[in-house]
Amino acid sequence: MKIFVNGKEVEINENERNLLEALKNVGIEIPNLCYLSETSIYGACRMCLVELDGQITTSCTLKPYEGMRIKTSTPEIYEIRRGILELILASHNRDCTTCDRNGSCKLQRYAEEFGIRRVRFQNIEKPAVKDDSSPIIRDNSKCILCGDCIRVCEEVQGVGVIEFAGRGFNSQVATAFDTPLGKTECVFCGQCVANCPTGALTMKNDVDELYRALESEKIVVGMIAPAVRAAIQEELGMNEDLALAERLAAFLRTIGFSKVFDVSFAADLVAYEEAHEFYERLKNNERLPQFTSCCPAWVKFVEQFYPEYIDNLSTVKSPQQALGAIVKKIYSRKLGVNPDDIFLVSFMPCTAKKFESEREEHKGDVDLVLTTKELAQVIKSSGVNLKKMTPEPFDRPYGISSQGGLAFGKAGGVLGCVVSVLDEEIGVVKEEVREINKGVNLVEIELKDGTSFKALGIFGLGNAKDILENIDDKDISIIEVMACNFGCVGGGGQPYPNDSSVRKQRAKILKDTVGIKTLLTPVENYYMIKLYQEDLKDEKLKHEVLHTNYKPRRRVEETEFEILPVPDEDKIKVKVCLGTSCYSKGSYNILEKVVDYVKKEDMEGKIEVVGTFCTENCGASPNVVVNDKLISDATFEKVLKELEKNVKR
Amino acid sequence: MERSFQKVEEILKKHQYRKENLIRILLEVQKEYRYIPEDVVNYIGVAMGIPPAKIYGVATFYSQFSLKPKGKYAIQICDGTACHMEGSVPLMKAIEEEIGIKPGEVTTDLLFSLDQVGCLGACALAPVMVINEEVYGNLTPEKVKEILKQLKERDDSDV
Ligand code: SF4
Ligand code: SF4
Ligand code: SF4
Ligand code: FES
Ligand code: FES
Repeated sequence: MKIFVNGKEVEINENERNLLEALKNVGIEIPNLCYLSETSIYGACRMCLVELDGQITTSCTLKPYEGMRIKTSTPEIYEIRRGILELILASHNRDCTTCDRNGSCKLQRYAEEFGIRRVRFQNIEKPAVKDDSSPIIRDNSKCILCGDCIRVCEEVQGVGVIEFAGRGFNSQVATAFDTPLGKTECVFCGQCVANCPTGALTMKNDVDELYRALESEKIVVGMIAPAVRAAIQEELGMNEDLALAERLAAFLRTIGFSKVFDVSFAADLVAYEEAHEFYERLKNNERLPQFTSCCPAWVKFVEQFYPEYIDNLSTVKSPQQALGAIVKKIYSRKLGVNPDDIFLVSFMPCTAKKFESEREEHKGDVDLVLTTKELAQVIKSSGVNLKKMTPEPFDRPYGISSQGGLAFGKAGGVLGCVVSVLDEEIGVVKEEVREINKGVNLVEIELKDGTSFKALGIFGLGNAKDILENIDDKDISIIEVMACNFGCVGGGGQPYPNDSSVRKQRAKILKDTVGIKTLLTPVENYYMIKLYQEDLKDEKLKHEVLHTNYKPRRRVEETEFEILPVPDEDKIKVKVCLGTSCYSKGSYNILEKVVDYVKKEDMEGKIEVVGTFCTENCGASPNVVVNDKLISDATFEKVLKELEKNVKR
Repeated sequence: MERSFQKVEEILKKHQYRKENLIRILLEVQKEYRYIPEDVVNYIGVAMGIPPAKIYGVATFYSQFSLKPKGKYAIQICDGTACHMEGSVPLMKAIEEEIGIKPGEVTTDLLFSLDQVGCLGACALAPVMVINEEVYGNLTPEKVKEILKQLKERDDSDV
């Protein structure tokens, strides 16, 4: 399609979503503060103005057409943009030097590009609601109300934990009732952080803890995830360096790390274990489709929103937690030290990994999770030029990986690696991949033993949600889900900008890095095989080290609300779960009948009735608790029986 | 207070659990409880499959909705310029002395709530307060205390 931009003929792609996007693809970036290619169009900031037939209009809402004539930068548009920036800055907390986004903030960049040196409007301080209850830090005094985070959370991730609240000058991004994010259904994927143009959403910074550990007597051990090596270059002014992981290993040794392992080694291990688990399930036709479980955001998502699918999750730990357990339970013995004397630091592209390491069942294995951004900070502040660092290999025995393990860093990597193990062990005769939607790939696989099945590779939790809501193809037997678009290369802990085009570039770098590995599949990883043969011989230990379990997780904090309250201590208490699973299985009817019963039998004042949201036993819903006894798969009759028992007493 | 979810269920049923009816549902909830309680928001979220943050967003956007309980007698005290000059601050103090709440609060028995508002459009009568739509003007701390006492008595004889 031909259009005229500032009097010059420009050829743009057909069917572009809007003019903004079309121009970006031919190298003209129209300033914008509220547009994301991945979400619906908001059209509120008015930075993206262009002139069309003498009229000034927003380019993010403008559909291109053949022969259209536009101007992108006129004195008038320039003035309006400056005005908008000054207005935003007037109510913006401008302490740039101590801001996490200093140097990577879009607002700061525009202020510089438009030469804003003073703000004509009166400064208005915004109420600073600061929330640091989770790996995601929110600071509303830096928020420009672009709504990007809200749309990403709801539309891309299907979570919807933040929303505009209040109105006019008082409007803010908020959770329901301003509950701290750490106590909500947020899955800590950090995709809101990745897309926030300012410092209103940032990630927790734990670098100080690293320095404290380096100062201590502890043996500091590091491990580096696949996606980190494909992205950290952006922060260090490097480009497509395929030996980056080895340079990082060398660097970490210079600052005091005793050993540096490769998380890709653990990825081999996880894929190997998961492939066997899958083959078992497939043969016995149980707990299918199997869900991958290496993405902690996805795991939390299932636990909260799809408890009925918890058994479908692979019980194999994520590479981070598997390697964590190996280092603490096996490697420490080899070194002859107490596990507590080892301080294990995991370098991850991911904000949710911080949460994962602190889950009850994993506590103590990984001591510190630092994101790519934090690692870049450590390198930059050390003054070391990584380019000049001679690459050094990872430490054995957990420093070797196959192509499959390293590919975990991008979407489709886990699935591909599992299939490669099946190919080695059983033989794959047919494998066909088809993209059925953006972020959803369907793979049809036929094994040598005659079995055939389908697999899905999904990124984006919103995509996963759509699939789970409508899954009816019984042949789909395994599903990989990575919460972040394009997989971990687009994790919430990666450098800014962290948009689709950057993510694709990182995936390419990772692919090139994978290409130079000599081992093709985990089965060829002799260190891994040796680990199985020697250290994991004992089934019980193997299970403890490599497997984990999940549980339904409530979305709102545990609360009880009164339905028929009884002030006395001496009473029978009936608690009816009104969480999603129980509600959909009719717990409300039970509640109604219980209330009727209490009233009819004249038991008010003796039997107390309360409601709650999720007793974390959704698998056997509806759930009712009578005194301390949990009645699962409850019916009114069951509850009544228990009540009568108590009444007699 | 008995908070029966029967009412919420009825309201939801009436509107067929339809997302586009959210505002109407909230209006009826507000009428029923005189505010929108947190557990009701969570309950509606579960029943309609909407994230609670979304409902919270709607409830905070429209000034018709209140997220804090309002008293049976909702007192609004004007702190517009005229009323302020004529002494709205001593009135607030009198209210605090009489029923023990400050602006933005509600008594534990949910009988009274107090809010401070901008001009109520009755400057000629400054200082003024409004209790459930009824305007009281030319107030003094003593008059305020007297009005509150009467309301308390009225309520006692109601029961
Ligand atoms: S971290 Fe993910 S789930 Fe949490 S608010 Fe951000 S986008 Fe939503
Ligand atoms: S927190 Fe960031 S992304 Fe969200 S509305 Fe504010 S500025 Fe935009
Ligand atoms: S896709 Fe990767 S980076 Fe994103 S939340 Fe999951 S594990 Fe973390
Ligand atoms: S980017 Fe178009 S209005 Fe904000
Ligand atoms: S909804 Fe989770 S136990 Fe009832």
